Amino acid sequence: MSLPDEVARLKREALERIGKTDSLASLKELQVLYLGRKGLLTAVLKGLKDLPVDERRHVGGQANQCRRQLEEEFKQAAGRFASPASHTLIDPTLPGTGQRLGAAHIVSQTIDEICRIFYGMGFEIARGPDVETDYYNFEALNFPPDHPARDMQDTFFVEGGRLLRTHTTPVQSRELEKRKPPMKIITPGKCFRNEAISTRAHVSFHQVDGFLVDEDVSMADMKGALVAFCKAFFGEGLKLKFRPSYFPFTEPSAEVDIQCFLCRGKGCRVCQHTGWLEILGCGMIDPAVLEKAGHDPEKYTGYAFGVGVERPAMLKYRIDDIRLFFNNDVRFLRQFI
Amino acid sequence: MKISYNWLRELTGLDWSPEEMGDRLTLCGTACEHIESTARYMDRVLVAEVSELHPVPGADKIQRAVVDTGSERLDVICGAPNVAVGQKVPLATIGATLAGDIKITKAKIRGVVSYGMICSERELGLSDDHSGILVLDPDAPAGKSLVEYLDFDDYMLTFELTPNRPDSMSAIGIARDLAALASLKVTRPTVDLSESAESASDFISVSIDDPLACPRYAARVIRNVKVAPSPWWIRKKLWTAGIRPISNVVDITNLVMLECGHPLHAFDLDRFGSDRVVVRRARDKEKFVTLDGSEHELTENVLLITNGITGVAAAGVMGGMDSEVEDNTTNVLLEAAFFDASIIRKSRKELGIVSESSSRFEKGADPNGIEYAIDRAADLFCRVCGGEVLSTVVDCYPGRIEPKTIDFRPRRCNTVLGTDISTDRMRRIFTDLEFGVGGSETLEVTVPTFRPDIEREIDLIEEVVRIEGFDSVEDSVVNIGALFTPTHYEDHFNSEMRHVLLGTGFDEMVGHGLADSRFASLLNPDLPQVRITNPVSEELNIMRNSLVHTALGVIGHNLAHRNMDLRLFEIGKAYFPPADTSDFHEEERVVLAVTGSTPRGWRGNVRPLDFYDLTGALECLVDHFRWPQFKFTPRRISFLDESLSFRITAGNQPVGWVGRIPGNLARKTDIKQSVLVAELVLAPLIAVSGSLVQFRPLPVYPAAPRDLAIVVDQRVSAGEIVECVRQAAGDLAESVNIFDLYAGEQIEKGKKSVAISISYRSPSGSLSGDAVDEKQRLVTGSLKQMLLAEIRDK
Repeated sequence: MSLPDEVARLKREALERIGKTDSLASLKELQVLYLGRKGLLTAVLKGLKDLPVDERRHVGGQANQCRRQLEEEFKQAAGRFASPASHTLIDPTLPGTGQRLGAAHIVSQTIDEICRIFYGMGFEIARGPDVETDYYNFEALNFPPDHPARDMQDTFFVEGGRLLRTHTTPVQSRELEKRKPPMKIITPGKCFRNEAISTRAHVSFHQVDGFLVDEDVSMADMKGALVAFCKAFFGEGLKLKFRPSYFPFTEPSAEVDIQCFLCRGKGCRVCQHTGWLEILGCGMIDPAVLEKAGHDPEKYTGYAFGVGVERPAMLKYRIDDIRLFFNNDVRFLRQFI
Repeated sequence: MKISYNWLRELTGLDWSPEEMGDRLTLCGTACEHIESTARYMDRVLVAEVSELHPVPGADKIQRAVVDTGSERLDVICGAPNVAVGQKVPLATIGATLAGDIKITKAKIRGVVSYGMICSERELGLSDDHSGILVLDPDAPAGKSLVEYLDFDDYMLTFELTPNRPDSMSAIGIARDLAALASLKVTRPTVDLSESAESASDFISVSIDDPLACPRYAARVIRNVKVAPSPWWIRKKLWTAGIRPISNVVDITNLVMLECGHPLHAFDLDRFGSDRVVVRRARDKEKFVTLDGSEHELTENVLLITNGITGVAAAGVMGGMDSEVEDNTTNVLLEAAFFDASIIRKSRKELGIVSESSSRFEKGADPNGIEYAIDRAADLFCRVCGGEVLSTVVDCYPGRIEPKTIDFRPRRCNTVLGTDISTDRMRRIFTDLEFGVGGSETLEVTVPTFRPDIEREIDLIEEVVRIEGFDSVEDSVVNIGALFTPTHYEDHFNSEMRHVLLGTGFDEMVGHGLADSRFASLLNPDLPQVRITNPVSEELNIMRNSLVHTALGVIGHNLAHRNMDLRLFEIGKAYFPPADTSDFHEEERVVLAVTGSTPRGWRGNVRPLDFYDLTGALECLVDHFRWPQFKFTPRRISFLDESLSFRITAGNQPVGWVGRIPGNLARKTDIKQSVLVAELVLAPLIAVSGSLVQFRPLPVYPAAPRDLAIVVDQRVSAGEIVECVRQAAGDLAESVNIFDLYAGEQIEKGKKSVAISISYRSPSGSLSGDAVDEKQRLVTGSLKQMLLAEIRDK
């Protein structure tokens, strides 16, 4: 092989190997291998002295150009592996400065999420007082006085004959009274139950109730809306189970169970090995409720539902103690930032 | 409520597995919560004979029993008072696990090695009875497994019933739903009663003083019963229902109640005290001793069964001690009555007793189920206790309660459900539920009195979907209802406020809204409180009348857990009782609180969080919502430190306060470091929020910045300085900022050095240096004159 060909071959080979190096150290080794005092190119160039002068000048020029080109390539390649120390004093592993973001409480985040989903379906938000009358909390909702159904909801009473609402459905009573159909409303808010505080129960909790009243509203419409909600909130592909239940203000009434999203129905600690989680109550608004609010139950029908906030949040984020929500320990709050 | 799986199979003829039965019932509204094997604590439990009993030295409460299992004789320590030689007993052998997680191992007790345990009902998981061991029949074969001997391969189904379904509180009731699911019929036990010639009416009469509270009272007389333990088949049904067997007479009343849902009561006729039953309201302060031995002082809210003189039973709740059936009872007065639900509810609340009987009556029993119940029980008294049933039911039923007939439109049913169920199918569902059905287009459905929950067409529609299953209702995907969704500014306002505050680094709290009245009085002695009349505890006995209350509690909790540096906020309500003629008032507020220091970071700029950290966050809100004239004015606020306490106004309206919590108040919530709080009332702020932005053209001509350093009295506020500069410089001063503030060495005591930067700009042309200097002279002149400022040379 002629000397110029040998130089060209070495150049090709070196360029190829530079392209494949993956560290600065191997690049340095490669540079020594080709361009070092005992390197391959240097060795080839030693043969120059045996050439005639004219040819020597010509080939020597070519070889030096090749050497400079390789040196430049090595330099460029080294740039790929530049260490911070070599080109800048910025340490990107230090935390950035400026204001740390505050943590939104997981209860408000969950309420927001639930409301966003229903808002997307066209539900309007309405609110009402926490200190309620017996009428809106119970009577307007078809709880007869002195009926065992009232025992289902342990109630706090306040001076002045009022009570702390046990659900946000009294907002439904109030809105039904004020408006004309169609009505499509959700009612997020705080509720209260007179229960001993434990890991599973608290005196206060949050709920998003909702209802829809119009002509010809059917249970099929209710199922469609609630299935859409559950998909959006808990994720696709989970089975739902509607089973008959009892609420004085709906008839027929149902509770909805969703396939446990942790074990997908196989059974785990969270779903107490049933494969199902109880997530909401619903039903067709009882004609008596519509009638009390002055709507003709023959003309109008409607559905209502109630979703808890703390309970689904506990399930979704595997929070094992409801008291954590109200202790507001920042180590808890900041986990949900 | 618990019911035996085998019993339900017996009544329906269904061969579904316990799981399938439970699932199908759950899907028709009778929620089955648990399924447990009755034999779950009977593995390695054998029939054994007690052969010998020996005292254990030094222990008088226990004995050493030698028991014979047929194949071996074992020493067993036994502490039961009723153990006797010759008895056949259930013996848990080594390796058995009994109820309460008792594991049987070889154990040395008082120097005696015990190889097992003779079991009570409780240890076998049958009832809560632990008064003595369970004694088996003398002919029980030793060595046989207990499950096999009792033929007790059954399951307890536990149901969580809704309060509207009293009919489900019985085996027949649940079987009725089951049968309807499978389009079958319930087979009730047949009653084949042979009555004696004598009539019960010769022995007893019934009169009802309050027919509203007691619409029906029926009685039978059974003579010559032999009180003894019940046969195993009765005991097994009671055990699977979680009821403790007592004696055949009492057990039969319980069995019939479990079977058909109607509570019965058996009196000892010889100790009844008269020959007449009088049902009346109790007199005020009338005394009565229930059969559990407790004495009650009654009021008119209690309905009493009397013998014409004294009470013998609290109607529908519990019998009396004096007429209770005992071991030597021979003649029985059997009561089957129907009481109004609300009187029973009042009675049991007043007596503080919840019994199997009261929980059925207060949900609504069946007035017309009495015939079957009383005859079924009488038949059993005759067959099981050898009793002689006198002819005639003494039945006082002045106003017969008839079944309701309800018009039912199949089309309406399909409209409400969104289904396409045939009329024939609906008709079939009703007949399977034992309703009567007439009519064709509109059905006339006659609802038996055991279903008091069904009063209207909509209730029948529920029956259809309950039995047909919710799966028969397709999910509709059509969006219906309102055409567009109105939004309310209040909702945006709260949400935006939250996000601004989160952006300023404050963490969000959510309070439960209840508070401690004493602490609230310390914070705001003059502020009225909404008191809870039935609080869970004294610490949670009012609705909070300030969010500061919650914030201090949360800070106290965090500091106790060594979270020392806190910036917190909450948006929530404070609650106030009505003033004068107004209604209860709920006020949306926001509270901000800071304590501790800024985070330690690598740039080392740690400093205590202070007043300006609060106002900085508030100013972000001011900027975002464009609140006009947002001002702090020194003002004494009851829960703030006198030296740092400001009222906040916006648009000249008072909207809140900001300042430091005094040490004595902080210490009440275990806070030992400085806490600063701000609280704003939202309503007046919403009113002045969100004014429309008017665009100003971007400047065309350059700005001329000038800096100025002055020394003024420390009491001169930054606001006064800026205002003074603006007044003097007029419209040309585009911005005026304080960029340095210093008091201390080189500055006269009581004074401070303030550096001000002023940016001059005109919208109509470049300002000449002379024009700016002229303005600057006016500014310095004004500062000297108005604020007695001394101008410092550069």
